[in-house]
Amino acid sequence: MSRERLALGFGLLGIALLGWGSYLGLFVAPPDRYMGDVQRIMYVHVPTAWLALVVFTLAFIYAVLFLVHRSWRWDALHEASLEIGVLFTGLLCIQGALWGKPTWGVYWAWDPRLTTVAVMLLSFTGILSLRHFLDDPLRRASWSAATTILASANVPVVYYSVRWWNSLHQLQSTPKTVNSSMVEPLRINAFGLLFLTIALIMARSWIAESRRRKAMAPPLAKESS
Amino acid sequence: MSGMIQGGWEFVWAAYGITFTTLSLYCFSLWMRLRADKNEP
Repeated sequence: MSRERLALGFGLLGIALLGWGSYLGLFVAPPDRYMGDVQRIMYVHVPTAWLALVVFTLAFIYAVLFLVHRSWRWDALHEASLEIGVLFTGLLCIQGALWGKPTWGVYWAWDPRLTTVAVMLLSFTGILSLRHFLDDPLRRASWSAATTILASANVPVVYYSVRWWNSLHQLQSTPKTVNSSMVEPLRINAFGLLFLTIALIMARSWIAESRRRKAMAPPLAKESS
Repeated sequence: MSGMIQGGWEFVWAAYGITFTTLSLYCFSLWMRLRADKNEP
């Protein structure tokens, strides 16, 4: 099977699962006892949060692998993870704001979880911008890998912020604390977004790899007249 | 008073709408970039 077909398969499977999970979350799962129907935002918000953290963890791993092995494949995957992680974190902030307004009364609060997520979004957006400003592929890859390793220190802080500090944001739920009818759409959407993410990372890394190859290709010889 | 938040569907639809529109646009942009990349010499 070609890699294009594999990515397309992952993408289509992801989209199908996201459609099914969202249908269950919107129309089948019961409303929350306190938050009512607004809680249905959880079925897209929580998988987006999980995948944003997973993708930035991958970016950290690819950054380390590039610095150790100096293989361009890791740099392409690093660039792909950065872009998709920033996309998911941006979405996460919007979904969270839309959930915060009817439940907290405000779109945004400088609470530990929201603040650490904002820092994560800004730091990785900065690294993506850095990659756009640097023309030399080796310098671009090395500098962005080093800054990704630094920025990744905040990723576990985002996850544990609700436990370490007194946060307005709720603690992580577990299948023991959530009704089973709510767990099913959550899991389906999480797997759907996971498969879609695999497809997106594959496709975005091909673009990064192709651009790097073109940038490093030797100039064409001048035609002799 | 049940203590349950009433309504709020507009926030739910906005969250789902923005999420799926953004993901669709990103998929489309990747497809366009891949196509442009293949057509480039």
